[in-house]
Amino acid sequence: MSLIASFEWSFIWENRGVFLDGLWVTLKVSAIGIAGAFVIGVVLGAARAHRIPVLSPLAAVYVEVIRNTPILVQVFFVYFGLSEPPFNIRLTAFTAGWLTLAVWGGAFNTENFRAGFEAVPYRYREAGLALGFGRLMTFLNVTLPIGGRIALPSSINTYISVLKNSALIGPAISLPELTYQAYSLESVSFRATEIYFTLAVIYLAVVWVLSGLIRALEARLALPEAKRVRTRRQQRLREAV
Amino acid sequence: MPLAGLLPDWAGPVFHYILETGLPFTLKIAGVAVVGTVVIGIALGTLLTIRFLPLRAPIRLYIEVWRGLPLIVTLFLIVYALPQTTFHVTFQPWVGAAIGLTLWGSAQVAEATRGAVESIPREQHEAAAALGFGWLGRHVFVVLPQAGRRLLPPLVSLMANVIQNTTLASLVGVTDILFAAKQQVERLAAPPPAGQLEQHGFAIYGAVLVFFFLISFPLTRLAAFLERRLV
Repeated sequence: MSLIASFEWSFIWENRGVFLDGLWVTLKVSAIGIAGAFVIGVVLGAARAHRIPVLSPLAAVYVEVIRNTPILVQVFFVYFGLSEPPFNIRLTAFTAGWLTLAVWGGAFNTENFRAGFEAVPYRYREAGLALGFGRLMTFLNVTLPIGGRIALPSSINTYISVLKNSALIGPAISLPELTYQAYSLESVSFRATEIYFTLAVIYLAVVWVLSGLIRALEARLALPEAKRVRTRRQQRLREAV
Repeated sequence: MPLAGLLPDWAGPVFHYILETGLPFTLKIAGVAVVGTVVIGIALGTLLTIRFLPLRAPIRLYIEVWRGLPLIVTLFLIVYALPQTTFHVTFQPWVGAAIGLTLWGSAQVAEATRGAVESIPREQHEAAAALGFGWLGRHVFVVLPQAGRRLLPPLVSLMANVIQNTTLASLVGVTDILFAAKQQVERLAAPPPAGQLEQHGFAIYGAVLVFFFLISFPLTRLAAFLERRLV
C-alpha cells in the first residue's frame, strides 16, 4: 500500500503544535459565535413568537437575508466591506470571525427558538399569568424553559454548523484557526496529503464527539412531559389488556 | 443599457468582468453539483433502506463523513491532497469543487431520502409486490413517487444551499463570482495605472450578496410553499 507508505506521520507529530494552536482558535471563535447565536436566537425568536411590533418584522427580514446569502460573502462583507469609508469599522480577523458566526447562527436560531416557543401550549402561559407573573416573567419562567427544550435538537444542529463554518472563515480572512493553520503549513511544506488527512480526522473527531455528547444530553433534557405521556399511554394499554 | 446612467463610472467594467469571467464558473459548478447531488443522493438513500449490513455500513460511513466534514476541508482534500497520493488524481479546480459539493450535498439528500422512503407504509410495498413488481420496479414506480412528495421541500431548500456554497470554490483557486468580485475590489484599490486608489468593497460584495439572495430567496419560498402543499 504505497498510498499509506508515502505518508510521513513524523511530520505531523513534529508540527502538532500548529494543529493544536489552530484547534484552540477554532474552539474559541466557535464558542463566542455559539454564545452570540444563542442570545440572538432567544431574543429574536421570542420577538417572532410573541409578534412584538417593529422587532418581529425586522427579525423576519434579518433571518431571510442571512439564510439566503452565502456565509463566505457575509464574512467578506463584514471584514473588507465595513472597513471602508463611510463606515471605517476595522475589525480584527478574530472579531469579524465570531461576529459573522454569531449573526449567521443567530438567524437560524431565531427560527429554531420561534418554532420552540410557538409549540408551548397557550394554556401554560395562561397558567403563568393567572399566578400573577407579568408577561416577561411568564416568558422567563414558563415559555423559555419549555420552548427552549423543544428547540434544543434543532438549535444544537445550528451550533455544530457554526463550528464547521469557522473552517471557511480562516482561509477567507486569514484567521489562524485550524483550517488556515493547516493551509499555511501546506504552503511551506507541500505535504498536502498528510496535512489535509490529519485536518479531516481532527474535524470528524470533534464533530462526531460533540454530536454524540449532544445526543446523550438531549435524552437527559427531553421534556418530562414526553416521558410521562408515554408511560401513561403504556399504563392505559396494560389496563386494556 | 438604460441603467448605465444610474451607476457610477467604475461600476460598468467591474460588473461586466464579474458576469463574464465569474458567472460561467459559478453556473458550471452549480449545475454539476445540483444534478450529481440529486441523482447520487436519492440512489444512496434508497439503498440505505435495505436491511443488509455490508450495503448499509459503507453508505452510512459515506453520509457521516461527508456531512461531518466542513465543506472547505473536503474541497482541500480533493483539490490539493488527492493529486499528491500515489494515484495522482488531478482535476481542474472547478471540477474538484463540483465533486466536493456533490459529496456533501448527496450525503444530505441520502439522509432525507431514507427518511422519506421509510415513511411510506409497508402495505404500499406489499401491494406493489403482489402486482408482480420486483424490488427496482416497486421503488421506481410505487414507493419513490410517493416519497418524492415528502422529499421535494427539503430538496429545494438544499439546492439553494448548494448554490450558495459554490462560493467556497473561490478558496481553491476557481474564478467564480466571488473570486472575480475580490479581484475587482483589489484592482480598484491599487494605485494607478492599474487601479484608482478607490475602495468599493462594500458596494461590490453587497452586489454579490444581492445576486445570491435573488436566486436563493425564491427557492426557499418555494420550499416553504411545497412543505405546506405536499407534506
